[in-house]
Amino acid sequence: MAQVLRRRGRIQVKVNRSEREALIGIIDSLSPRLAAPLATAPRAYDDAKLQAEYDRWVRPDIEKGREVDLTMVRDALSGGEDTLPLTEAQTLVWLRAFNHLRVAAGEILGIEGDGWEDTATEATKQKPEYGVLIALGYLQEELVAALDS
Amino acid sequence: MATTSAPTPTKVPAPAKAPGREERDQREFGWNVMVWNDPITLMSYVVLVLRRLFGYDHATATRLMLQVHNEGRAVVATQPREQAEVSVAQLHSFGLQATLGRP
Repeated sequence: MAQVLRRRGRIQVKVNRSEREALIGIIDSLSPRLAAPLATAPRAYDDAKLQAEYDRWVRPDIEKGREVDLTMVRDALSGGEDTLPLTEAQTLVWLRAFNHLRVAAGEILGIEGDGWEDTATEATKQKPEYGVLIALGYLQEELVAALDS
Repeated sequence: MATTSAPTPTKVPAPAKAPGREERDQREFGWNVMVWNDPITLMSYVVLVLRRLFGYDHATATRLMLQVHNEGRAVVATQPREQAEVSVAQLHSFGLQATLGRP
């Protein structure tokens, strides 16, 4: 499994070729899902008129940012390096990108409530999206710990 | 000769009562930024986001995250509307469920 290290104030992700390919595959498979409006896309307002304004003026930037996050991570993984140094800003990009992917995976699995790790059936656990949730969750925890250390 | 009658006083509607200072403050500054629970986002990630966006220390961010987790939602900031909308947009960019509204 990929490792996240913090050395001399720099964060490094150690990720071998097969792990990089797997992560790129996750991005490629879930990106189309993220490009479409997610059923779970968060609302900002209860008021319909204010929400419409938000959707018109603010949401496009959020969606563009999500696309940029995923592209940046994909580009870093495509560079052929086993060790990827990250600045704090880049680490936040990775964290956001992994969260976008986990939200998409969760939506595909139909997860609606807490405790899904305990109640998942064996059939659910065999689905690739379940693996995405677990693997990217692990990497997110490692990145958060690296930022906090 | 036309007779003139005493002018009838025109009924002027009473001016709308200007909002009091407290009401203005409430309208301008009293927008709550609310984070809602979702089953996917990691607790540690929520704490990190609250610290980064609002400058909370670890203990405060953790308390707010636990309130979100246990009660389903928490007010994480109260700000003027425009700033609150920016905060909500930032939370959305991190993938958190967030809304703004008057208390």
